[in-house]
Amino acid sequence: MKGFNIKFLPEKKSVSVESGTDLLTASIKSGIHIYNSCGGEGVCGRCKVIVKKGKYVTEHSGRISEKERKIGYVLACRTTPESDMEILVPEESRLGDIEVLTQEAKAKRLAGLYTPAEAIEEEHYKTETKVFKHGPLSTKLFLKLSPPSIDDNCGDVERLFREIRKDKNIPVMQMGLANIKRLPRLLRESNWKVTTTLGNRNGTTEVVLIEPGDTSDKNFGIALDIGTTTIVAYLVDLKSQKVLGAKASYNPQVDFGEDVISRIIYAQEGAGLEKLHHAVIDTVNTLIDSLAKEQKLTLDDITAIMCAGNTTMTHLLLKIEPTYIRKDPYIPAVNSMPVIRAAEAGIKVNPRGLLSCLPSIGSYVGGDIVSGVLASGIDNTKDLSLFIDLGTNGEVVLGNKEYFIACSTSAGPCFEGGGLASGIRAMKGAIQSVSVKKDKLAVETIGKAPAKGICGSGAIDGLSVFLQNKIIDRSGRIKDNRISKVKEEDGVKRIVLVEEKNSATGKDIIIDENDIKNIIHSKGAIYTGIEVLLKESGYKKSDLKHVFIAGGLGTALNIRSSINIGLLPDLPEKKFEFLGNTSIAGAKASLLSSEAMDKAYSIANKMTYLDLSTSSSFMNNYSAALFLPHTDIELFPSVKGL
Amino acid sequence: MEKVIEKWQDKIGEVVLGATKAPSTSLGAGNGGTRSRTIKIGGETGIYFIKGEDACPNPPVVAMEVWDMEPQAWPETLKAEFGAALNNPVEWAKMCVEKFSADLICLRLASLHPDAKNASGQDAGKTLENVLKAVSVPLIVLGSGSTEKDNEAMVHCAEAARGENCLFGIATQDNYKTLTAACLSGGHSIISEAPIDINIAKQLNILICDMQFPADKIVIHHATGALGYGLEYTYSIMERTRLAGLSGDKMLAMPLINLVGGEVWRTKEAKTGDEVAKDWGAAKDRGALLETATALAYINAGADILVMYHPRAVGETRKVISDLCGR
Repeated sequence: MKGFNIKFLPEKKSVSVESGTDLLTASIKSGIHIYNSCGGEGVCGRCKVIVKKGKYVTEHSGRISEKERKIGYVLACRTTPESDMEILVPEESRLGDIEVLTQEAKAKRLAGLYTPAEAIEEEHYKTETKVFKHGPLSTKLFLKLSPPSIDDNCGDVERLFREIRKDKNIPVMQMGLANIKRLPRLLRESNWKVTTTLGNRNGTTEVVLIEPGDTSDKNFGIALDIGTTTIVAYLVDLKSQKVLGAKASYNPQVDFGEDVISRIIYAQEGAGLEKLHHAVIDTVNTLIDSLAKEQKLTLDDITAIMCAGNTTMTHLLLKIEPTYIRKDPYIPAVNSMPVIRAAEAGIKVNPRGLLSCLPSIGSYVGGDIVSGVLASGIDNTKDLSLFIDLGTNGEVVLGNKEYFIACSTSAGPCFEGGGLASGIRAMKGAIQSVSVKKDKLAVETIGKAPAKGICGSGAIDGLSVFLQNKIIDRSGRIKDNRISKVKEEDGVKRIVLVEEKNSATGKDIIIDENDIKNIIHSKGAIYTGIEVLLKESGYKKSDLKHVFIAGGLGTALNIRSSINIGLLPDLPEKKFEFLGNTSIAGAKASLLSSEAMDKAYSIANKMTYLDLSTSSSFMNNYSAALFLPHTDIELFPSVKGL
Repeated sequence: MEKVIEKWQDKIGEVVLGATKAPSTSLGAGNGGTRSRTIKIGGETGIYFIKGEDACPNPPVVAMEVWDMEPQAWPETLKAEFGAALNNPVEWAKMCVEKFSADLICLRLASLHPDAKNASGQDAGKTLENVLKAVSVPLIVLGSGSTEKDNEAMVHCAEAARGENCLFGIATQDNYKTLTAACLSGGHSIISEAPIDINIAKQLNILICDMQFPADKIVIHHATGALGYGLEYTYSIMERTRLAGLSGDKMLAMPLINLVGGEVWRTKEAKTGDEVAKDWGAAKDRGALLETATALAYINAGADILVMYHPRAVGETRKVISDLCGR
């Protein structure tokens, strides 16, 4: 078969591909990361590249404007080479910076993604230690055994167990053959002074590790949040309960599709599952490695990992086939994953270290939500509360200490910056708030950096400001106005937030009518999910005592704006609380406390899944919600006068 | 058994169509026009024709459709009713009012369409003026179905008929601004149309009202299906709209219109001649009967204006309305 050489600029990275290979696949092969949210279906229009040299065949796409077409823009996923080619990957199509290519550097770039690590740490540390008893996934115990004698002649293992049981009431204990084999010599060589690591494995206790001497001060764990878009890791001292470091990286699986469905589809193709698994494992290993190095620890010092992720992410992390998650009747391989050795999943920590995952409810409500509910604490109170995760799946959970009902609303990626013309994730340079100053639009970016794009919180704020200043009508159409600059391209009107001369990308940062439509669909899905959940369980919104909002849509969420556009129900602002990333907070709590983990299991057991696709009222309510703030303005009395 | 009378929280808004010369009358919109009388629709206090619930304050009215060019696709049996008048909108309109007692004339400016005559907006405005001079009943004015051409023409027409308070159509969610602005400036009423979706219908009315357009000048069209061609969908969405309006939803408490003729006379049952469909009954009766049956169903669904084609169907429908409303 004929092959071509594709060179990606400006890195000048070359890769040879067979004829018929699209440029997106070629870019993945070369290690250049190009945005795409549809898994290479030609739908999302994110993988725009510029052809500099070479012949090719491409499909025309409405995602590329006439102006762009003339200067050689094509969609990478819809373009196949007919000769050797040179391709320029423009800034806006990139997942990472040009000069920064190491994972560590990427993690640094994404450090601004959430509240700084210390701030998160402080906040959650307080609440968790109050609530949960210290009892980490793995505990180190220094033991001084009495040497055997003719009167005290029990075996080495029994001697060890006896010593452990002096302190702890553990009737059943397990120990692997490898450890037993090592034990006789190790005990004698260390003069009967050893440190054992006890692991909590699904209710039983395992002697995970035996080390000579006293190493009980050196016991560390990792809390992981495997998000569809972002992976976050905390290094936690299991003894002092302190978070020593936090790092984030984007989930490189994004290369294979932005949402879980496209990744499940990808996993079914050839070595797809293998690739997806390695993508996430490599990132996790890099994060752990750099966290350990920063604290001058060895990987052997890390003995436990607690992971929160949605059901698909957990499957891919463990390399379990996710196919049946998306096929009727939507059954995952596992909801409550037993504790295994981290090494079995390919995670490099202490080879005998444990990996535990927070339990899922089903295919579309995963461990990240259980973790979030745990972190929000709504299971501690009789008050009826709502937990909303503004992610791609847009899960909503209603309940209190008695029960939970959860639904998943397929809100789409726009709260994470996906599916918007200038959308980016909440990173440095992302517009996170919009206002009108002196009759002109003004924006504020994360880190006050030059604007690179707009993230979820900025989009929500923007829409609210547009609506209040009559820049758009209630169906989201852009009107002629004096406050904003309105341009039109290919018949689609767009509001210019930052002009090209002031942006980091050299292009206008805009919100166009299609973006607004996407945001309206997303907010409509979330709102309707809330509405149907309340209705199906016989409550009114006024019955809600607390509403907790989670998600990585920015460092802050403007609650007022969210109500103005009809994303959140019209309730007093003091009832709302934005928690940021609750998935990692819950994972950390569960890593440090078996009580928290038990609670997570009891939350999972108490949670019912409401399938909105079978709810007769969903579609009707949904189309009523596709308006700003809503077709029924009576539902939003506080917005009425605006 | 005790008869239960439903008491509704609200009533449907009244819309006045047409404007007379008289300065200010009890009909409010009276002044500034040249109509001999105005027509008031809506005002229902309950579900139509339930004794004790709805007093039927303003019985449904029948408009007859008049085109500004001969309708090519009409079957001969229908064309024959109007003869040579089909080529002359003025004569056609007169005939409908004088001979067939139409309550209103619905002028369809079909010639605007690029696939028809691609007539100009000025021409359309001229035709409208002529029809206004020829008949004294209130008018409904519809475009050709070509969004771009219609938008341009309606600006001319709204101006040409300034002060006459015509009912202009059709505003849709994707195209309402131009027409709304034109109607607002010319003092006309408007038809807002949503494709069998109660939410979009309401959203569109909100959007129109957000342009400072008065809610009591809006008439809702939910699309019309001929009997056997999806009538039940329209029927049920009309019922839901009416119930919502009666329950206090101001943005749905508007009169309803159905374009019956246009839908019925597209069906094969109405169009097929005797030579092909031998067992279907005589072609000369068939279409008119189908149109009558469709119109009567919509009256039950709550229609306030029926736009119709065949004089016989118009006559039958008017008779039933008169019987039902006891007038």
